[in-house]
Amino acid sequence: MIDVNLIERNLPLFFEGLKVTLLLSALAFACALLVGLVLVLARLAKVRLLPAAAAAFVELMRNTPVLVQMYFIFFGSAVMGWPLTGFTAGLIALAAQNGAYLCEIYRAGIGSVSRRQAEAGLALGMLQRQAFFIVVLPQALRKVIPPIANQGVMLIKDTALVSTLSVMELMYQARLIADRTAAVYEVFFTLALFYLAITSAFTLAMRVLEWRLRVAE
Amino acid sequence: MSIDPPAAGARPAIEIDGLSKWFGQHVVLDRVTTRIASGEAVVVIGPSGSGKTTLLRCINLLEEFQEGEIRINGAPIGYAVGPDGQRRRKPEREVAAMRAQLGMVFQSFNLFPHMSVLRNVCVAPIKIQGARRDEAEARAVELLDRVGLKDKVDAFPARLSGGQQQRVAIARALAMRPKAMLFDEATSALDPELVGEVLAVMHQLALDGMTMVVVTHEMQFAREVADRVVFMAEGRILEEGPPEALFEAPKSDRLQAFLKRTRAGYLP
Amino acid sequence: MDVLINNGWLLLRGASLTLWMSAASIGIAATLGLAFALVQVFAAWPLRALVEVYLFVMRGVPLLVLLFGMYYALPYAGMDIDPATGGILVISLYFAAFMSEVFRGAILAVPRVQWDAGRALGMHGSALMTNVVLPQAVRTAGPPFINTCIMIVKGTSLVSIIGLWDLTQIGRQIVERTLAPFSVFGGVALIYFFICFALSLVGRHLERRFGYVH
Repeated sequence: MIDVNLIERNLPLFFEGLKVTLLLSALAFACALLVGLVLVLARLAKVRLLPAAAAAFVELMRNTPVLVQMYFIFFGSAVMGWPLTGFTAGLIALAAQNGAYLCEIYRAGIGSVSRRQAEAGLALGMLQRQAFFIVVLPQALRKVIPPIANQGVMLIKDTALVSTLSVMELMYQARLIADRTAAVYEVFFTLALFYLAITSAFTLAMRVLEWRLRVAE
Repeated sequence: MSIDPPAAGARPAIEIDGLSKWFGQHVVLDRVTTRIASGEAVVVIGPSGSGKTTLLRCINLLEEFQEGEIRINGAPIGYAVGPDGQRRRKPEREVAAMRAQLGMVFQSFNLFPHMSVLRNVCVAPIKIQGARRDEAEARAVELLDRVGLKDKVDAFPARLSGGQQQRVAIARALAMRPKAMLFDEATSALDPELVGEVLAVMHQLALDGMTMVVVTHEMQFAREVADRVVFMAEGRILEEGPPEALFEAPKSDRLQAFLKRTRAGYLP
Repeated sequence: MDVLINNGWLLLRGASLTLWMSAASIGIAATLGLAFALVQVFAAWPLRALVEVYLFVMRGVPLLVLLFGMYYALPYAGMDIDPATGGILVISLYFAAFMSEVFRGAILAVPRVQWDAGRALGMHGSALMTNVVLPQAVRTAGPPFINTCIMIVKGTSLVSIIGLWDLTQIGRQIVERTLAPFSVFGGVALIYFFICFALSLVGRHLERRFGYVH
């Protein structure tokens, strides 16, 4: 019943899509990690308004669908006369939304590092900033690798949404193939396998990272 | 050895004048005044809640205090009085530079768990004093050798016993070439059989002429090592003097009762 | 702003479909999730393995892929199912995996000694669960449960891609006519925000009310 030949013939197209999906995932994940860090620094800053502004941004991002954010950026940029590609619009929305989630993950991690650790740094003569970056943050990041990995998986899966902005990633290619060949089962089965492979490989890589950076306890 | 000898006959290394601290109604430190000379080992004893740990933490400004002055080598720490007569906390950089001159050893060790033993000892000299990496590492190895842990340079703190961790913590503090060392109940969190190895390191440090303020429950250590013992209760210094005088002829009722209880084997 | 007022009725219709699909999906996903969690904790290994495989697939495949699978494959299989019902079904099955994680974590977070204390009193099986374990688990499950509910509300926006007239789809249609993406999608986002933020306020309230001080 399953036409293996058909899948095989269309594999090059799947791989074309895979490349775009991987590129978008990697870029968006890197940006989200950075956005999350900037947001958490803003949330913890002792400057007036900055923590509140960061918190508001985080709430806004976490409580609206990433798909609507993508449309907002994509169609919005077009009307502004600065049309962004679907790829770029998707990248921005994914980085913003996942950055907001990562901000909260980092914050929980930082909160879980004992106050005494920062004190030990201060007692050695570190500035607050040094104690944070040398002592607290590295420990916090190690502790939150598992939730970061979960968030990364969500991000990878959400890259499928940019297919609605005509970005030719995995999902988009699969739909084209399905429309052309009408081999619905084969195409969606293969597509699901591709995503399972990406997310599993990513999860595995994060496990290895966690194991290598583990704070022996 | 690599510890800078204190200049003989210099003015007191640490001067505490009328130090008071309170939380609302609750007075934690009440006009504490004392002098700690260069090279002197001072042991602070007293029941829990007497303010001895808070006193130690005030000396390197991990705690704020409301009144009085602390001077390190003559320079007042922490606060400056502005032209308007208002007392203000000094800028962070000055506070940090002052802290770098004082080594602190905590009850809970507080080693950095994500760094190797070697890195724990040399990270501060490298990041704060701008020491060259190879020099800082060589010195770290030397200090670890001194506390008997040369073979543990590449281990991570979690792999060490409490006694070993605390000895690393001492080496870490010494790496900054402090002018004085503060010990905050350094052996209280240790299993009884590990206390000795840490006290031995502290004893050697005192023999080498390090200026030390030691808060401890180890009366035997106070007797043997202290140049002077300070007895605190309810935020005040009630009695101070050479160990023989305090332990053999306590004047105040509080100290007599305290010593009786510790001798009877109860934790003070 | 005028765009939003002029199309208020349409937006309201979209919002009502979004709310209805969210509520139905939350109900089904939570029920399934609890069942999966109980299987994971208590059932014999073949059943447990089956659920594990199911969870692995749901966590690794995008919701959009599953929705399209349903949209394309069901008619093919000769099944005539209304897309809204199909959407609710797929969303429920997908988020049941996350719900199961929430409940499993909460059940396992109940300290071992509590189970032992219950057993020492002679309880076992469902009596132990309903009297000792679940009442405590419910408290820890509160905040992550609300988070998953918010994810479900946001997740329903994907049904716009398979042609359902939910809030997101209505927004797209209005933008096609009016060419005012900022105000329309801004307004749409705001409606989602109110729904989700209301949920997170409920979550915060629950956390304060039932949260243990650790």
